[in-house]
Amino acid sequence: MQATRRTALAGLGLGLAGLPTRARSTTVLKATWEGWPDSQVKPLFDAFNKAYPDATASYELIPFSDLFQTLEVRLGARTPDPDLYSCDSPLSASYGVRNQAMILDDVLDRAQFSKAAVDAGSFRGKLYSAPFANSSQLLFYNRAFFKQAGLTPPTADVAQRWTWEQVAEVGRKMADPAQNRWGLIIEQAERPYQLLPLGQSLGGVALSADGLKSSGFIDSPAFVEGFTFLQRLYTDWKVSPPGVFDPNVTPDLFGSGRAAMFLGGTFNLGLFSNKYPELDWGVAPHPYFARGKPVTPTGSWHIGVNPRTRNKDAVTEFIRFMTGPELQVEWFKLRPYVPVRRDVWDKLPEVFGTPTWKIIRYEVENTAVARPSTPGWREYEDLLRQTLRDMQTGGDVKAMLTDTAAKIDRQLLKYNKV
Amino acid sequence: MRAKWVPFAFLAPALLGLFLFRAVPILLALGGGFTGTGLTGETSFQGFDNYTSLASDPEFWNSVRVTLVFNLIINPLQVVLAFLLALLMAKPGRGVGALRTAVLLPITVSIALTSVMWNLLLDPAVGPVNGLLRSFGLAAQPFFHSQGQALPSLIAICTWRGVGYWMFFMLGGLSAIPPEVNEAASIDGAGPWRRLWHITLPLMRRSFGFVLIADTAANFLLFAPVYIITAGGPDGSTSLLMFEAYRAAFTLLDNGRSLAISTVILLIVAAVATLELRFFRADDVA
Repeated sequence: MQATRRTALAGLGLGLAGLPTRARSTTVLKATWEGWPDSQVKPLFDAFNKAYPDATASYELIPFSDLFQTLEVRLGARTPDPDLYSCDSPLSASYGVRNQAMILDDVLDRAQFSKAAVDAGSFRGKLYSAPFANSSQLLFYNRAFFKQAGLTPPTADVAQRWTWEQVAEVGRKMADPAQNRWGLIIEQAERPYQLLPLGQSLGGVALSADGLKSSGFIDSPAFVEGFTFLQRLYTDWKVSPPGVFDPNVTPDLFGSGRAAMFLGGTFNLGLFSNKYPELDWGVAPHPYFARGKPVTPTGSWHIGVNPRTRNKDAVTEFIRFMTGPELQVEWFKLRPYVPVRRDVWDKLPEVFGTPTWKIIRYEVENTAVARPSTPGWREYEDLLRQTLRDMQTGGDVKAMLTDTAAKIDRQLLKYNKV
Repeated sequence: MRAKWVPFAFLAPALLGLFLFRAVPILLALGGGFTGTGLTGETSFQGFDNYTSLASDPEFWNSVRVTLVFNLIINPLQVVLAFLLALLMAKPGRGVGALRTAVLLPITVSIALTSVMWNLLLDPAVGPVNGLLRSFGLAAQPFFHSQGQALPSLIAICTWRGVGYWMFFMLGGLSAIPPEVNEAASIDGAGPWRRLWHITLPLMRRSFGFVLIADTAANFLLFAPVYIITAGGPDGSTSLLMFEAYRAAFTLLDNGRSLAISTVILLIVAAVATLELRFFRADDVA
C-alpha cells in the first residue's frame, strides 16, 4: 500500500514537471471574427502564431447575419473577452463613443493606408479600428444570357459605363420570373451599403454632416427617386427577385446561371472562378443614373480592439502583423478584397494590371463615397434596412422614407451629447 | 422527523434552477424597466420614462396589436387542432402509426431550423411551394413578403411545428377518460357526437386548460421565426413584442426600453393566463 502511494506521488511529480512552466506560457488572444470560410481565415492566424511564438491567437467565426448582435452581447458585457473583433468600418464611431474600441492612433502609421480606409475607421480625428479590407462593387454579367437575347453586354470602360436606365431596360428583356431567371440580382439587396449610391448618384446626401440628423437627407427627392427606381426593379419591371436578401445566397444565384447581371463585391471574383468554372462571366463598372454622377460603395472590414483586453502588447503585435504588407498580400490572395494598404497595389502587378482591377482602382480613387460617419450607424442602418426590405413589396417610397427618417432621428438623439 | 426535510432536499436543485433562471431574470427585467443605460454602460434610474416613451410610440402599439392578433388566432387554432388530432390518433387503426409519426416529427426539428426550412420552402421566387402551386395552374404567392400573408404564414409554420407537441397532452387526457363511461353512454343510446359533447369534452377540461395556458405563454414569447424570416416586416406586420424587445436591446442599444417591453409582455401573459385559469376553474365548479 505504502509503495503504491509513493509511486503515485512520484508519478504526479513527474507529470507536473512535464507541464509548461508559467514563465514559458503564451499569451492567448481571442478574436470574434467575421464568418469567412475557415480556409481564408486559418492561414492568417497560423501565420501570426508562427511569427509570434509567445502569443497564440484563436478565433471564432460568426456568420455575417449574426456578427453584430454577437458583438453587442460580448462587448456589452464589458469584460476582456474577446481581445479583438471584426469591425464593420462604419461602426467604428459607434464602438468608439461607447468605449468598446481602443484608440489605435499609436499602433498604426496612417500614411501606409488609403485615406478612405483611415477615414472609415476614424471618428472626430481618432482612429478606432485598424483597416483590414476595403471593398468596391462591380457589375458582373453572364455572357450566355446576352448571347441568347442577342444583346451586347456592358463594357469594362469606365467612361462608357452603363446607366441604371440601361440596366433596367436590358434586364427586363432577359428576365423570366416564371422560370426563376432574372435580369439583375443585387448582392446585398436590403443594405444601405449597397443601395445608398442610388440616391447619392442623383446628388443625395445620406445624413447631416454632424451625423445626427437624417430627416431632409435620406427622405430628400434624390433618395426618393433612387429608391423608387429600386422598388420598380422588383414590382413593376420584375427584373430582380423580391425577398432575396441573403448575401450568402445571391452570388450563388448568379453563379448557377439564374441572372443576367449581378451587382456585387470584388470578393466574388474568386468565388465565380473557383466554384462555377462553367460560368462565362465578365465585369463592367457600377451603373449610375443618366442625369446624375457615378457613385460606388466603399468601406469594409476593420479590426477592433476591446479596450478591456489584458494583452495590450500582444494585441498591438497582432494588429501590426495583420495590417502589415506581407500579410495583406497573403490576405488578398485568399480573398480578393480591395487593398487598404497603398503598397499592396504595387505588388502583384499581374493581378492589379488586369481590366477588372483597373476598374476597381478607378472606382476607389474616383467614385467611392463612404457611408455616413455617425456614432448611430447601427440604428441608422437597421431602420433604413427594414424600410429597404419593405419597399420591395410596394408602398409609397416618399412616405416610407419620411417615416424612417423620423425613427432614425429619434434614435440619434442619444448621441447629441457625445 | 428526518423525512420532513428530505423532499425539500430533492426539490432544492430544481427550485434553485427555477429561482436563478426564471425568478432572477424576471426581477432584473422588472427593475431594469425603470433604468436607462448610458453610452458607456452606466445605468441610472429613470422612473417611468421608458414606459411613457413606449406609450407614445406608434411602433410599440403596432407591435402590441400584432402580438394580440397573432395570439388570438394561433392559440385557439393550435388547441383545437391538437384535440382533433388526438381524437384521430387515440384509437388504434390502420395508418395511425404513420400519421402519428407525421405529426410528431416536426417537434424534433428545432424552431430555428423550422424557420430556415420554411423560409426556403415558401420563398416567392425559388420556393418549392410556389412551384407546386404553379404546376396546378395557380398563381404564385408572396407568403412572408406580403403584408397580408406574412402573419398567417408565421401562424401556419408555428402550428405545423407546435401542434404535435400539444397533441401529446390531449392524448394523455383522452386516455385518462375511463372507457366504462363511454361504454355506458353507448349502451344508453348516445351517439358519437353526444358522447363527445357530454362526456369527452367535459372530462378533458383540465387538459384543455393546461394546453391553452402553456401554449399561450409559449406563443407570447415567440421570437426565432420573426428574427430569422421577417425581421418584423413587411411594414411591421409581424413585429411581435419579443422581437421588439430584442431589437430595442441589440439594434437600438436601449436596454431600458427592451426591459420595459419584456415587462409588458410578462404582464400581458400573466393577465391572459389568469383569465384562462379562472375560466377553466369556474367550469370546474360548475
